[in-house]
Parts: sequence; C-alpha cells; structure tokens
Amino acid sequence: MEDLAMINHDQAVTDEESLKLEVASQWKLMWWKFRKHKLAMISGAMVIAFYVVALFCEFLAPNVPTTYLDIYATAPPQPVSLFYEGKWMPHVKGLTYERDPISLRKTWIVDESITVPIGFFVRGDPYKMWGFIPLDLHLFGSKHPGDPFYLMGADMIGRDVFSRLIYSSRVSLTVGLVGMVISLSIGILLGGVSGLVGGALDNIIQRIIEILMSIPTLPVWLALAAVVPIDWPALRVYFMISIILSLISWTGMARVVRSKFLALREEDFVMAAMLDGCGKTRLILRHMLPSFLSHIIASITLWIPGLILGETALSFLGLGLRPPVVSWGVMLQDTQKVAVIARYPWLLAPGGAVFLIVLTLNFLGDGLRDAADPY
Amino acid sequence: MWKYLLRRGLYALFTVWVISILAFAIIQLPPGDYVTDLIDDLRAQAGNVPPEWEERMRQIYGFDDPFIVQYYKWMRNIVLKGQFGYSFFYKRDAGEMIVERLPMSFALSLFSTLFVWIVALPIGFYSAVRRYSIVDYAASFMGFFGMAIPNFLLALIVLFITYKYMGAAVLGLFSDKFVDAPWSWAKFVDLLKHVWVPMVIIGIGSTAGLIRTMRANLLDELNKPYVETARAKGLSEWRLLIKYPLRHALNPFVSTLGWMLPGLVSGEVIVSMVLNLPTSGPVLYTSLVRQDQYVAAGFILMLSTLTVIGTFISDLLLAWVDPRIRLQ
Amino acid sequence: MADNNLLLEVTDLKVHFFTDEGVVKAIDGVDMNVESGKTLCLVGESGCGKSVTCRAFLGIVQPPGRIVSGDILFHQNGQVVNIAKLPPKGREVRQIRGKEISMIFQEPMTSLSPMYTVGNQIMENITLHTGISKNEAKERAIALLAQVGIPKPDRLVDEYPFRLSGGMRQRAMIAMALSCNPTMLIADEPTTALDVTTQAQILDLMLELQAKYGMALLFITHDLGVVAEIADEVAVMYLGKIVERADADTIFNDPKHPYTQALLRSIPKIAMRREELDPIKGMVPSPFRRPNGCNFHPRCPRAMAVCREIVPTSIQISPNHTAACLLYDSSVRDKKEGA
Repeated sequence: MEDLAMINHDQAVTDEESLKLEVASQWKLMWWKFRKHKLAMISGAMVIAFYVVALFCEFLAPNVPTTYLDIYATAPPQPVSLFYEGKWMPHVKGLTYERDPISLRKTWIVDESITVPIGFFVRGDPYKMWGFIPLDLHLFGSKHPGDPFYLMGADMIGRDVFSRLIYSSRVSLTVGLVGMVISLSIGILLGGVSGLVGGALDNIIQRIIEILMSIPTLPVWLALAAVVPIDWPALRVYFMISIILSLISWTGMARVVRSKFLALREEDFVMAAMLDGCGKTRLILRHMLPSFLSHIIASITLWIPGLILGETALSFLGLGLRPPVVSWGVMLQDTQKVAVIARYPWLLAPGGAVFLIVLTLNFLGDGLRDAADPY
Repeated sequence: MWKYLLRRGLYALFTVWVISILAFAIIQLPPGDYVTDLIDDLRAQAGNVPPEWEERMRQIYGFDDPFIVQYYKWMRNIVLKGQFGYSFFYKRDAGEMIVERLPMSFALSLFSTLFVWIVALPIGFYSAVRRYSIVDYAASFMGFFGMAIPNFLLALIVLFITYKYMGAAVLGLFSDKFVDAPWSWAKFVDLLKHVWVPMVIIGIGSTAGLIRTMRANLLDELNKPYVETARAKGLSEWRLLIKYPLRHALNPFVSTLGWMLPGLVSGEVIVSMVLNLPTSGPVLYTSLVRQDQYVAAGFILMLSTLTVIGTFISDLLLAWVDPRIRLQ
Repeated sequence: MADNNLLLEVTDLKVHFFTDEGVVKAIDGVDMNVESGKTLCLVGESGCGKSVTCRAFLGIVQPPGRIVSGDILFHQNGQVVNIAKLPPKGREVRQIRGKEISMIFQEPMTSLSPMYTVGNQIMENITLHTGISKNEAKERAIALLAQVGIPKPDRLVDEYPFRLSGGMRQRAMIAMALSCNPTMLIADEPTTALDVTTQAQILDLMLELQAKYGMALLFITHDLGVVAEIADEVAVMYLGKIVERADADTIFNDPKHPYTQALLRSIPKIAMRREELDPIKGMVPSPFRRPNGCNFHPRCPRAMAVCREIVPTSIQISPNHTAACLLYDSSVRDKKEGA
C-alpha cells in the first residue's frame, strides 16, 4: 500500500530548485545574446581587424605612401603568382608601357620577362612606427627594395595605391573619434539634463535639437570646412575636421539619452533608490547610466560610419583633409573625373574600403543594439 | 487640430529664422571676405595695392558693418524685396541664381522622397509579414548595402558604367535639345527619363533605413490585440493586415519625412556636384570656396527652408493620418 | 443533458507550440461540451491554457502554435463542422468567425483600433457576413449600441474608441460581437481590466443579452467571484488539461479534484487574519519541464506515490461531474489491491 501513501511535500520545493536561476551580470547576458548573431560576430571581428591594420599600418604596408616611381604612374595592379616554374616563389610580373604617339597616353602591358619576387618580413623603405620608432621591416613586399610592387596599381604620380590605402585607414578610421568624444559628452549632458530635469529646460533643449536637426548636414559641413585656413598644419586640420563632423551629430545622441532618461525616471528601481535617500549624482551614475550604457555603445558603433562617410565626402571635395595627410577621401580626389575612373578603375579602391568598414560597423552596431535591447 | 497646426507652423517659421542667423554667421566665419580675394587678385596683377583701397572697397560693399547690421540688411532685403544680394563671383544677382537652381533641387529631393517611400513601404511591409523569407533577407541585405556605399561613390560608379558601356556619361537632367528649352510636356517627360538615376542614387541610403523602420514598426503592431480582434471577426489575413497594422504603422512612416529630408537634401547637394546637375550643389560649392557670401548664405537658407517645409508637411500628413492628433 | 442543445463538442484537443527552446504542450488533451443557452466558465491560473483553448475554437491560434490533434465539432443548423480540421485562413472557418461564434477580448483599450470609428468597426463585421447595404449596416450598428446600453448611440457610432471610457469600449466590443446574432459568444476575461463597478454592469449586460438571444456563453476567467455570479457550469483547467467539470453549485459545494479544492480554499475571506491565508504550495511548473504522471502531483496535498507515474484520465463521478484524479480512479485502486 506504500504506492498509495502520501508523498513528501518537500519534493515540491526541490523540483523547483532544479530550475535554478543563474544570476548573470548584464554584460554576460548581452554577450550571450550577441553571440547568437553570427553576422554581427563576423563583422565585429572584421572591425577589429580594420583597427589593427590602422594601428600597425606602417608595418603592414609594403611601401611607404610617399614613395613614387615616376615611370610607374597610373600603372595597373600587377598580377600576383605564387609559383614560378613549378616552385614556390611568390612574385609579381613586371610592367612596361607603350606610349601612344598622338595622345601621349600610356598603355600598360604585363612583361612576363620581368619577375619581381616578393616575400614576407622583408626589409624595405624605412619608416617610423607610430611616428617615433625607426624600422624598416615590412610584413611583405618586394624582396629587392626599389622593385615595383603595386598590388593595387599606382596612382597618378606613381604611388602605391595599396600602401596608401593601408596608411589611410589610420586617418579615416580615427578622424571622427576625437570630435565624437566631445559630441558624446555634450549629448549625454544635455540629453540627461533634458530627460531628468524636464519642464521648460527640456523644452528649450528639445527645440534647439529640432532646429539643428532640420539643417541639411552637408551644406553646413561644407561651409564649416571651407572656414579652415589653408595654411594650417595637417594635424590641426585633422582635429578641426573631426570637431566639425561632430558638431551637429550630438543631437542624435542627446535625443537617445533623453528618451532613455525619461523612461528610466518612471522605472520602479529609480523610485526605490530615491526613496532610499540616494543623491541625484549617485542616482545618475550608479543606477541609471549602467542600464543604458549598452545602448550608448550600440549607438556609438552606429554613429562612426556616418563620421567616416562625412570625412570621405569632405576630403573628396577638397574641403577636408589635405596632403600630405592621406585618407580614403583624399585618395578619392583623383577620381573626380569620369575619364580617370574609366581608364584607371583601381583608383576607386578606397571607396571599397569605406564601403566595407561602414558595412561591418553597421552590422556590428545592429547586433549590439539587438543584444542591448531587452535590458 | 488647427491649434496643433498653427503651433507647428509658427514653430517652423521660428526655425527658419534661427537658421538664417546660423547660415549668415557661418558664411562670415572664414577670415577675410570677398574683398580680400579681390585685393589678392589685384596684388597678383598690379603689384602693390594701397591699403586705403581695401577699406574703401569694404565700405562700398558694406563689409565693414558689424555682423548684426549686415545680417539685418540681408534679411530685410530677402523678406521685403525678395532680393538675396549680389554674387561677386558670378557677377549676377544672387536671387536669380537661387531661383534658377532651387526648384530643381526641390524637385529632385521630392522625387527622391517619393522613390524612398514607394520602395520602402511595400518591402518593409512584406518583410515584416513574411519574416525570414527570401524577400526579407534580400531586402535586408540590399538595405545594408545601400546604407554603406557613399552616395557620391555610387554616382561615380554609375558614371563609370555608363561611360564605359554606353560611350557617354549620364550627366545632367536633360538631353541636349531640352536643356534651354522652355517647359513643356515633352521636357517633363525628358526629365523623368533622366531623373531616375540621381533619384535612385540619392534615395538608396534612406530606403534602407526606412525599410528597417517599417519592418520593426509593423512587427510591433502585428502582435497587438486589435489585430486579433479583426481576425476573430473573420477578416481574411491580407485584408486585415492592410486595414489594421499597416494603417497603424503609417503613423511613424509619415513622420520619418522630418528626419529623412535633411539627409536627402544633403545627398542631393553632393550627388549633383558629382553628376554636374543643374541644381544647387555645384553653385553652393563654388560659392563656399570663393567666399561668395550672399550666394552661399542664400542657398543654405533656402535649402534649410526646404527641409523645414518638408517637416511641416509631414506634420500635416500625420494629422491627416492619425485621428488621435486630429481630434486633440 | 439534452443533446439537441449541444453546440460545441470538443474531443481530445491538443495544441502545441513549437518554439526554439522546445515544444510547449499548451493544451494537452481537452474534452469539453458547450450547450446553447448556458454559461460555461473556464477557470484556471495564468498560463493554464484557457486563452489558447478559446482561440483554438475559432482557429486563430498563431504560429508557432497549432492544433495538433483532436476534434472541435460545431453543430450548426443541423450540420456538423469540425473546426479543428479546417484550414485556419480558409473561407469556411472565417464564415464561422464573427458570425456563428464571436469573441470578445480582455483589453478594451487596445482591442479596438484607434484609427477607425466605432461604427466602422462594427459595420465591418456586419457587411463582412451579410449582404446588407452600408446605410442599413449603420442603422443596425446604432441599434446594437443602444442595446448594450451606450447613450446617444447615433452620435457615438461616429466616434473613435479612444474617446470612450473602458466600460463603454467593452460594451462596443460586445455590440460588435453580437452584430450577426452568433450562437456562441466566447469572452476571454472581458472584465479583468475594468474596475469593480463597471465589471458588475458588464456582467449584468452579458447575462441579459444571453437570456434574450439564447446563445451559449463561454466565459474565461481566473476570478472565482465572477464564476459564482454567472456560471451555469464550470470547467477547471490546469497546465493544459481540464481537471474538473461540473455545474456551478457542485463545484463550489462539493469539489472533488484537489486542485479545485485548493483553489477554493485559497480565496481570502474578509474576516480572515493574515496567518490564515492558504495559498497553493509551490509554483506552476515551467512549460518545458512538466511533471511526470499527474501534472498537479508536486503541489497536491493528497498526492499518492502512483500519481508520479500514471497520467489521470477524466473519471465520471456523477452524471454531470467529472474529475481527472487518481483518487477516484477505481481501476488504480483495483490494480493495487489485486497485486
């Protein structure tokens, strides 16, 4: 009769315990959610790769961006082969040209007789790593320094497009960041004040934001960029452009921050903290900020592409960065004429780089935003 | 509703006024002015230029007045006489140039907006209703693609393709025979034939964003109780989707015009520079580089006014679409 | 139980949800009969599956859920239609929805669309199922609004739902549901979102209309007070199964299933002290980790060892009273004694 006997009720409790809840931190939860988003993960890896390239650009570029070989001006990319007569010997084929006697235009032909061996960890043009460490080791390049090695062709005066592309990454990927920090601070400050204090101050700030947002950005950027004196040193121009780019974009961040603060103000945990006697600053910093830090990170990631595109556009038009600073936008200045692109399409390569980084940043930002959302 | 519209209208006017101050101020920022340019030119040609000439010229042009006075004169001329000043570089009336170019900018922006709406609405709707279908993924992907490519680069690529494969670059908004011709139906048709290229280039970035917004909004609405009520009444699935959630999602859709328009106008400016279209872009650029202040300020003011008008229209549309706002 | 009154005959209905995390057996073998002219209350805690049940009857269970097996026989004009077998988006089932079987929902605030007038939404139901003209439909809508007790119906018919109070909206919903004279009205917790006074008014209205039209009323609720007010018959649900079914008197005075007993015991009485509150022990299990054997046994004060292994079937306790509990299953007893 034991089967019909009453069972012990503590069983009920332990059955529940088997559904133990792990208290994972907010970041851990975000990471788990983010991990599921394959595309975002891959994009994240690519973005990191981009910035690594920017960090080590001097080492990774086969040539120094300023070197130019006159005779190779406008040369197309040299075809790469890995084997030479059956043996492993990576090399590129040489190039010669014929000049049309009437139009004086060069036609490039691949010269099979010349092979330029390439290798890894070669000694090439000297450079200063990060501006101060003198080195001459390149990740890969032509084995005999001075040999032409144009992986993506040469530009109008014979500089290596590929190397310039790599060096440009450092500039293009970071030019917006300086101003963004300023912009971010303004945005969070004003947005926070707006959302927390509310009332008339909120109204005023909101109106300002709306006014600023209805101005088409490009004309303003153009106007501001035209202000930068021609004689300024490259670095100052760099910072100035960065600030210009961010001048209007703080409005977007302010709005996001404001709406988050508004929503949070009503949340129970804020009420609880206030009832506990929490001071305003501590309230903001310890309780409210962490809860949307994840959103801020996601927003920043989606903000950067806009800055990169902006700098590229400005430099393309000649109003942004100037030589000797090299950025993708500056490189694209060569492409302003259709005839040029038609004849030397590899000059559009920087556009491809911009496209790629913007794409991956957008995927990454999307993934971050999805992961940040439920929390 | 009228109170709402009045409020928005007044507010739009106020915005335009503030923008006018900003525009004028920005133009004044670069050190020197047109006179500086002139003097430099003169110096290059003639050698020495007496300093009194510079001052006298400034007086003549009115450049030595304080900012407020210059601004006031400029604004007064615009509002009362419809005159925008003089273009030193082009040696013509600035207002004339604006009138020549602005309507085309407006038309192009309008076309781009229509393009974005017509493409984004159905695709966004379909993506939300048939999630994870091929269309959804394709639309998503193309969307990201469109957002990532800089519009001027797209313009360059289009130029390249047409140049290489059709012999001539697709430049301008009209074929040769219509460029200077007076307006007629045939000219309008010619415009339509040419406008789709810049229209797509300008609009494609915004299309992506709008598709995603539409999709997200619709997904929100699809789970709401009123959808279930409609289904329980026996409405067919497509009919109820269009009558209810789509209608609801139209709300945020219409209000996107406000933030989309500045982007489209911006895009129009730079794309028209690359494609050399007869709109504001090329002239704005030149005037900025040349410190042709009245032309530059005038264009910035008018372009911004375009977007403010657009925002106001979007408010109008919103009131029309949403009974909750209409019956405030 | 007169068979010619039988409106809905549900046999072994199973509705499963196929989610990424696993299959949720929201409804796991439900039998039910609904008779015309009577009010059946479906009672249970949140998550027990009562909402899914009534949606299944209309065929509006949304993916990832669907009817997996079972029959929903609807007796209509002498014919029998199996709703469970009809394609959910097909024309046949849509002709039943809103016309033969209508449903009203819990949140009147959000169940009516703010973009269309009340009249428009009522008329939509009418013109969808009948061929009458728009003007006639409008008149009918006004008449319906008057019937449900809405003042100035000729004006309110052109109003938007957000201009009405919660109670008025619910009345409008009822008007909409009744617009085509359905034989059965399903009400999914229609008064839960309303304040107590309005709740009483709505309940009165519904009983009045039911008496007038003679339709069956299937009323979903978790509020036993409401059940006491309006139920002719009561069915108690737990974790996707019906654990007890009887007429209202029997349920309140002589409940047999331990869950029903526990539910009734847990109702606080006004004069009680705090220490006397008697909630049901434990928590409702996660839908992915259902207990073996009887669903309720981990929380049941009368559980036996055999409850861990055998799934109880519905036992007939008296002509109108069933309970799904092994305590009343003589075959289990016999087996034990025979061993």
